[in-house]
Amino acid sequence: MIDTLLQTLLNGAASGGVYALVALGYTLIFSVLGVINFAQGALFSLGGYLTYLLLGGKIGVNGALPGWGLPIELPFWLALLLAALGSGAVGLLVERIAFAPLRRRGAEPLLSLITSLGAGVVLVNLLQLLMGAEGYAFPQAAAGLAHLPESLLLGGARIRTIQVLLLVISALAVASLSLWLERSRSGKAMRAVAEDPTTATLLGINSVAVVRLAFLLSGMLAGLGGGLIGMSVSLAGPYFGISYGLKGLAVLVLGGLGSVPGAIVGGLVMGLAEALIPSEASGWRDALAFAILFAVLVLRPSGLLGRRQLEKV
Amino acid sequence: MSGQASAAPLLELRQISRQFGGLQALSEVSFQVEQGEIFGLIGPNGAGKTTLFNLLSGVTPASNGTIHWRGQAMQGLSPDRHNRLGIARTFQNLRLFTGLSVLENVLVALHRQPQGGKLDALLNSSRFRRRQSELRERALQLLEELGLADQAHRQASGLAYGDRRRLEIARALATAPALLLLDEPAAGMNPREKEQLCELLAQLRQRHQLTLVVIEHHVPLLMQLCQRLAVLDFGRLIALGTPEQIQRDPRVIEAYLGGSR
Amino acid sequence: MIDNGLLVQMILGALLGLSVYLPMAAGQLSLATPAFYAVGGTLAALLSTQGNAQSAISLWAVLGEMLLAGCLTAGLALLVGLPVLRLRGIYLAIATIALVEIVRVAILNLPFTGGAAGIFGIPQPFQKPFGYVLFSGALLAVCGWLFQRLEASRLGRSMAAIRDDELASRCMGIHTTRVKLTAFLASAVLAGITGVIAAHYLNTWNARQGSFDVAITTLAFVILGGSRSWLGPVIGGLLLTALPELLRPVGDLRLVLFGLVILLGPVFFPQGLITPALLERLGRWKP
Repeated sequence: MIDTLLQTLLNGAASGGVYALVALGYTLIFSVLGVINFAQGALFSLGGYLTYLLLGGKIGVNGALPGWGLPIELPFWLALLLAALGSGAVGLLVERIAFAPLRRRGAEPLLSLITSLGAGVVLVNLLQLLMGAEGYAFPQAAAGLAHLPESLLLGGARIRTIQVLLLVISALAVASLSLWLERSRSGKAMRAVAEDPTTATLLGINSVAVVRLAFLLSGMLAGLGGGLIGMSVSLAGPYFGISYGLKGLAVLVLGGLGSVPGAIVGGLVMGLAEALIPSEASGWRDALAFAILFAVLVLRPSGLLGRRQLEKV
Repeated sequence: MSGQASAAPLLELRQISRQFGGLQALSEVSFQVEQGEIFGLIGPNGAGKTTLFNLLSGVTPASNGTIHWRGQAMQGLSPDRHNRLGIARTFQNLRLFTGLSVLENVLVALHRQPQGGKLDALLNSSRFRRRQSELRERALQLLEELGLADQAHRQASGLAYGDRRRLEIARALATAPALLLLDEPAAGMNPREKEQLCELLAQLRQRHQLTLVVIEHHVPLLMQLCQRLAVLDFGRLIALGTPEQIQRDPRVIEAYLGGSR
Repeated sequence: MIDNGLLVQMILGALLGLSVYLPMAAGQLSLATPAFYAVGGTLAALLSTQGNAQSAISLWAVLGEMLLAGCLTAGLALLVGLPVLRLRGIYLAIATIALVEIVRVAILNLPFTGGAAGIFGIPQPFQKPFGYVLFSGALLAVCGWLFQRLEASRLGRSMAAIRDDELASRCMGIHTTRVKLTAFLASAVLAGITGVIAAHYLNTWNARQGSFDVAITTLAFVILGGSRSWLGPVIGGLLLTALPELLRPVGDLRLVLFGLVILLGPVFFPQGLITPALLERLGRWKP
């Protein structure tokens, strides 16, 4: 009984860590620009597919180039890192196309919600054209993880090793990002721009560079999440990232828009809440995040740890 | 405070404070504005003048203290409620409806006037059309008063800077206020335009039975226009009185007039 | 080349485009049109397949379903809109995405909606597609009239003002939450009754009808057509529904194209096809 509970909690924490990654990606961009990047879910998918290809995976029969694959087989760590960088680079591209022109024109911020949604749709459907709609399982043996045991015994509970990895890697990523925001020069610059863009510019902080950095990091977080989920579950078609992107939005609201600790706490709460849903009701699991979202909007719109946003006049 | 048994003042601020995070934007500001007055608000940049307007128009709530309107506390009321009570405002950094025409900007603000019936609107009845053309007449009349009638059909975004400031006033007037808050109405105008604006405001006050509270950087203009002035510095009220009293007040000279020259 | 079947779909597309346009005309991005469309369609599918299996249904019954769907979607929109529309615009976009997901999962999992396969054999009020053309065309015409009247009325002006500057609108005394809520409710009702017609026309209904893809395509209708007048989404809806059907070879590229429209549209042609300048040239005088 205790074992299954522990197992459930660890599962929940592992997926909660990934939700936190996604929500942090939204948070970074929201705090510097006050907008949501709806392409985040597509970057998540991209990270998964890039990791798959870098591990030496081949394109399936429904893809554009059946049987084709990269002529390399990188170890999992390296593949994950490169995939994250790749998603980050595409994140920069999304900023260039979907955000920067509107910002320069001073257009209503709502429009960037539309353009980023468009960027996500284009990205996911290009992935579908290239890779097909089929699911992919990662080539485990080639991933350099073959020497690890399939599962570990933890306090009497049997946990899949990859779940532990998932939790550890996302915790590391979240922790290093928080530390970086707190301590480093660029991190401080980013927080300064989030506080007050005008004053930050007066202080000589290059806000364009900070915005780009936010998109790069946010894309990397999404890519990392995609690679990790691909490894632990498999890639269930190009749209798999979209559902994580959507749940990330629920986590974002739950934690409080723009709050870094909120994104982390919200992610964990969401992961645990989902893990606690009994398996008879598993069909409803996908709706839980959004039910929570509505509850938060009604009861406490500023979220668990958010500040009240004041409109500037 | 007047010792007479007269009615409550139109507007009364009691110990108004407002913090933003660690910043004390306003602290314990109290004053009254009487019916029919032209009341000036001056102070260096960052003294809390616009914050005070945001409080008076319901855009931001006060952290402490109360604002009384005709003797009634206005706590926690939204900006639209403030407007319905009879308080209208303009914005320092111009917030016109730029996608609409000049005339439409004023028509939007006439929304509380009878429109000619919902069903009539649906059927485009002659009653509705008559009422709408009366509203357009009314809007044009307001534009006429502000000298904008010949530009009624231009897009608001295409107006010259000074004209945009006047359109903001016309739009605010259309909501039939008793109190009009003007946030730097003369900013960006040349001396001649400022002179004209001064006359215009005096006229408008007469014709619309207005009480005016005016924020302005150009102090001579306020000295000429206002019966009384309040001076803010770092969120504190440092002086209150007639233009002559203000000009002679050593704290004002120290904090504002002296410092900025 | 355009047969009656395609014409029906085009008109339904135009109606859904109008549903997305309504909140946008008040400066709100709502992505909930597929959710209300799905609610309307599911309601019609459920009601008309009760009892003995029939292949025909009276037009009155369909109108009754539309009335019910209108009430149900309005109630749902009120439930969602009341808490959310007091907040910043971004919350509506997020909440409406959530609504689409909740409705989709509900239709997939409820015991009486047929699961993934959905509901089959929805009876037809018309023998031929041409009946649907007339019926949905009449609805579109009524909507056109209503939208035309809306834009000349106080409500339409208030919506335009909120779109330009919500705070200034509030300071002019406009009850912005009420105006936004009205637009959102009308959008929901329009999507709901469109769903009723679509369910009968398609003869079958399942959870995929209200998927997120519908939000993307209908958004593309508005962006391509233009969001400064109701004619924009109508033209956008008609064109973009017809195009992929006429250009069959496009096939898988359909969503890429729609994605490109909403990605690049606001940047390169922010006014869409039906611009205010074009309307003026067409001789429609804007008061």
